[in-house]
Amino acid sequence: MKATPMTLDEIQDEIIEDFRRFRDGMEKYEYIIALGREHPGMDDRWKTDEHSVPGCQATVWLRSERWDGRLHFWADSDSLINKGILALLLRVFNDQPPREIADVDVYFIRKIGLSSQLSPTRKNGLAIIVREIQRQGRRWAKESRGI
Amino acid sequence: MPQTLSELSTTQLKTRLETENLQLIDVRSADAFNGWRSNGEIRGGHIPGATSLPAKWSSYLDWLDIVRSKSIAPEKPVVVYGSDERETEVVARLFERAGYANVDLYHQFVREWTTDEGLPMARLERYRHLVSARWLNTLLTTGNADEYDNSRFAVCHAHYQNRRAYEEGHIPGAVDVDTNSLESTETWNRRSPGELKQVLEDLGITHDTTVILYGRFSFPDNADPFPGSSAGQLAAFRCAFILLYAGVQDVRILNGGLQSWTDAGFAVSTEDSPRQPVNDFGAAIPAHPEFAVDLPEARAILRSADQNLVSVRSWREFIGEASGYNYIEKKGRIPGAVFGNCGSDAYHMENYRNPDHTSRAYPEIEAFWREVGVTPDKLNAFYCGTGWRASEAFFSAWLMGWPRIAVYDGGWFEWSNDETNPIETGIPQ
Repeated sequence: MKATPMTLDEIQDEIIEDFRRFRDGMEKYEYIIALGREHPGMDDRWKTDEHSVPGCQATVWLRSERWDGRLHFWADSDSLINKGILALLLRVFNDQPPREIADVDVYFIRKIGLSSQLSPTRKNGLAIIVREIQRQGRRWAKESRGI
Repeated sequence: MPQTLSELSTTQLKTRLETENLQLIDVRSADAFNGWRSNGEIRGGHIPGATSLPAKWSSYLDWLDIVRSKSIAPEKPVVVYGSDERETEVVARLFERAGYANVDLYHQFVREWTTDEGLPMARLERYRHLVSARWLNTLLTTGNADEYDNSRFAVCHAHYQNRRAYEEGHIPGAVDVDTNSLESTETWNRRSPGELKQVLEDLGITHDTTVILYGRFSFPDNADPFPGSSAGQLAAFRCAFILLYAGVQDVRILNGGLQSWTDAGFAVSTEDSPRQPVNDFGAAIPAHPEFAVDLPEARAILRSADQNLVSVRSWREFIGEASGYNYIEKKGRIPGAVFGNCGSDAYHMENYRNPDHTSRAYPEIEAFWREVGVTPDKLNAFYCGTGWRASEAFFSAWLMGWPRIAVYDGGWFEWSNDETNPIETGIPQ
């Protein structure tokens, strides 16, 4: 029997809890870089214009498909820290219903200190990626209503 | 366990600079690096060859990414200097923690290096025109500041069709200036001399007013109908270029825009500042027609060996994968243009900026320009889509004191609209 998937907020809370063990920014950085190294990335054939997210300092690719009423994402970047951030974001957003992805308050970014501790340029990139994920959520949510 | 960092004497530093491949790190603010004397320096600027890495950035979680982006190598020796011993040491410790094996401190920069005329210093030639938030606050609160010798000044919050950004919070006393008032909404080129005169007079600007410009960066989104509305600091550079062209003698940019103001802890105002129009700009416009070139001159520049048309666009625009704008259809580049890499897209200038939106250290800009043949001995005309990014690159070169610089105002928008103009795509041979 399949376990009930965690909700978006449950995952956000879990990440906030995970981040409590870090004493400072450098430890958080090392963790995010490690996540980036482990992140499977995306097949090169999908790394096209259509899937690139404009406005990020390093190239970021993102694509989604709907499976059983939930959205599955693939994401990649040529920068390790971006890959780590994408891994964190996908942990939250992957396999969630599109409407919930579109509407959720993404509070974990604030609570784990990414909003205040990332450099403004990197923060810009993060905001753009989150906006794109939620946009894809909105698009799929509309399609599922047949609009 | 942290090792004890050793402190170098001035003589030791001099010897090591002469004999080793030292990586010298300056942790003072970008403004101090450029030339401002705000920490007791007798001579402003930095030790030639130093890399600017302000201590402020050490609070960023992605600090190490910034360090790597500046090619500071872990296997080579690092010497960190600044004006505050504690700050200098914090940064040095971060280097150690990140695995840099050979890190030393130099604490005598202010006391010994800047006071000894025999020791070399480098600075940005027109550093006075790139000001800090602290400088601007002093000017606003006292009516006077270092390197300011005037009785009239105006602070302008630049934006594109985004007065709301001004209303939500601007520097107290600043008036808002919409780029649409200075550039035509048909061609996106600078307006006519008569129109500029009227707009500047309405803003209270004469040719001898000190004008300080800044903007607010608020995450430009290419899916927005008007992404430029969120690229406020770019708008400030665009206005600065037009004001220099018109003939305002003392144009300055707040380094980092509104972000630097709020980072420094200064309050913003939501009250409209009254405009104080003047009757006469006081000089013929344009005082510097040579700063702007149009299509015929752009074609002539392409034919000339000692002149560059510099494309301040992203790589994807340069090779013809993207037009960059929702209102420009054609993709590609002007054949013969050199690549002056702006950064990620039409509304971002990462390659000319630091991670906190302050302007990138000028030796770094100079270095990447040199690689593509953009050097001060040539005439360099910068272009982009409609002139914003080109204006920021132009202002960078102007700050460096380069003698022959211009903006090709029409840019890709004008070039690609004329069917007779050739277009190139793909990676240049």
